[in-house]
Amino acid sequence: MSSPVTSELEPATAGHVSEYLFERGWSDGLPLVPATEESVQAFLVHTSRDEDEIVARLPQLDREATVRDLAVHAVMAGCRPEYFPVVLAAWDALSAERSALGGGWQSTSGPAPFVIVNGPIRAELGINSTGGVLGPGFRPNATIPRAIGLTVRNSFRVIPHALEQATQGLPGRWTMLIGEDEEHSPWEPLSVDGGLPAGADSVTATLVRTCEFVDNRHFSDPEEVLRDFADTLSRSGSWIFRHSSAAIVLNPDHARVFAEAGMDKQDVREWIVGHASKTEAELAAVGKGLSGQLPDGPFAPDHVHPVFADARPANLPIIVAGSRNAAMSMVVRIFSTWSGRSFPIR
Amino acid sequence: MSGGIIDPTKSRSTVTAAGTDASRPEQLRDLRVGLLENGKRNAAQVLDAVGHVLAERHGTGPLVPLIKKQFAMPLPDDLVDELLAGCDVVVIGVGDCGSCSASAVADGIRLEQAGLPAAVICTDAFETTSQAMAELKGDQAYPFILTEHPIANLTGEQIAQRAGGLAERVAERLLVGRPASEAA
Repeated sequence: MSSPVTSELEPATAGHVSEYLFERGWSDGLPLVPATEESVQAFLVHTSRDEDEIVARLPQLDREATVRDLAVHAVMAGCRPEYFPVVLAAWDALSAERSALGGGWQSTSGPAPFVIVNGPIRAELGINSTGGVLGPGFRPNATIPRAIGLTVRNSFRVIPHALEQATQGLPGRWTMLIGEDEEHSPWEPLSVDGGLPAGADSVTATLVRTCEFVDNRHFSDPEEVLRDFADTLSRSGSWIFRHSSAAIVLNPDHARVFAEAGMDKQDVREWIVGHASKTEAELAAVGKGLSGQLPDGPFAPDHVHPVFADARPANLPIIVAGSRNAAMSMVVRIFSTWSGRSFPIR
Repeated sequence: MSGGIIDPTKSRSTVTAAGTDASRPEQLRDLRVGLLENGKRNAAQVLDAVGHVLAERHGTGPLVPLIKKQFAMPLPDDLVDELLAGCDVVVIGVGDCGSCSASAVADGIRLEQAGLPAAVICTDAFETTSQAMAELKGDQAYPFILTEHPIANLTGEQIAQRAGGLAERVAERLLVGRPASEAA
């Protein structure tokens, strides 16, 4: 797509088009780019997949979206054509998520797709993986997840106050795409945990509920940082079922400190899984005791309930990203479960 | 202006045709009552209580409790077969979440189309999404029964109270079908 000189642009017309797209009810609340046959074709040339291949499904609503439908929404979201293979792979990944197929888009929890990109394609597309990685300012990070949201709205017709029943929703529902900062990670990338070879261009995606920061800059011992993670991960507010899953967007400096202490990613995971817990009495104090809820109850007050079912990467994925300028990391609550699989960008 | 702009909602879709209700029984006496619960907290208890009131007041036959394990998803075919073979009428519920309320309505419509009279119970917090599913299924006037939200924290006594009123509305839905003004 060539860029015309400023004098050739028609701002008044662009405004009218933008209003028309709002009036049709196709927008997530922000201005859209109109999709035309020409612009959709420009996206479709970036994939060898048949434009009629069904990639996204919502069986309970009899809805589905084809490669072409996804291209239409990628255009509308403001993606560049070369982002399109990432959009496709994100839907491949989401289509393997039990939670996305099983009612997540309609849920009162209002979960967001959280998309992580690995491989050289991050640099090729300008995907941010460093400072402000979860924040604004980077076109692929902002527009690829927006394309997912527009597909949910227009292809699945899951629209707020109707089939979408989010109680409060969450900030950034359609903006959560990050690259992993593989260059500043001491460990193998997430895509290796997800079953792909290191260096592969890949997408990992799951549904998540919120982010909670772990600001720990003045530690003298890596175990202090680990304990801080375990505390955040075991808070009672997010406790719903026996076990839950969470991701950590780990600051490169936290990762470095762990690595220097001789820990690999799995060591970190096992430490945290072994220390994130609440007792039956602590849960009962907030009305969430598990004694009446589980077949193996009742439990003694000092019975320890671990947050995580086990220390597999699927239950606690760790992604290194963000700036080293301050040792802050982010805990991301997974809605239900992650499939544990990464998907190649093809 | 719109000539060249693609309508993104024109997606592939396999929306089913408008449904009609199954034929209604003349009375509920001795009929086998399916209680299709969705695994949500208190759903089985509410349906069980409704079933027992139906038995007391209408002399229904055996209660057949069944569980839909994936509450957001369409009914699996084998569960549909089990319901058709083992029940004469069915009570479905309780839709008290974003996806399971809509799904309960979809299940009711599917079972009616298959010939099984069904009464669907959802909580009033999910009226709009239940209605949206009815419209999506091409059955805008599909009658679902609303009960006050929430039900997950009701005590046994409160459930019994609730079931008294619900049972009459369930019986009416199973026997009468749609009120005359809403009938197709």
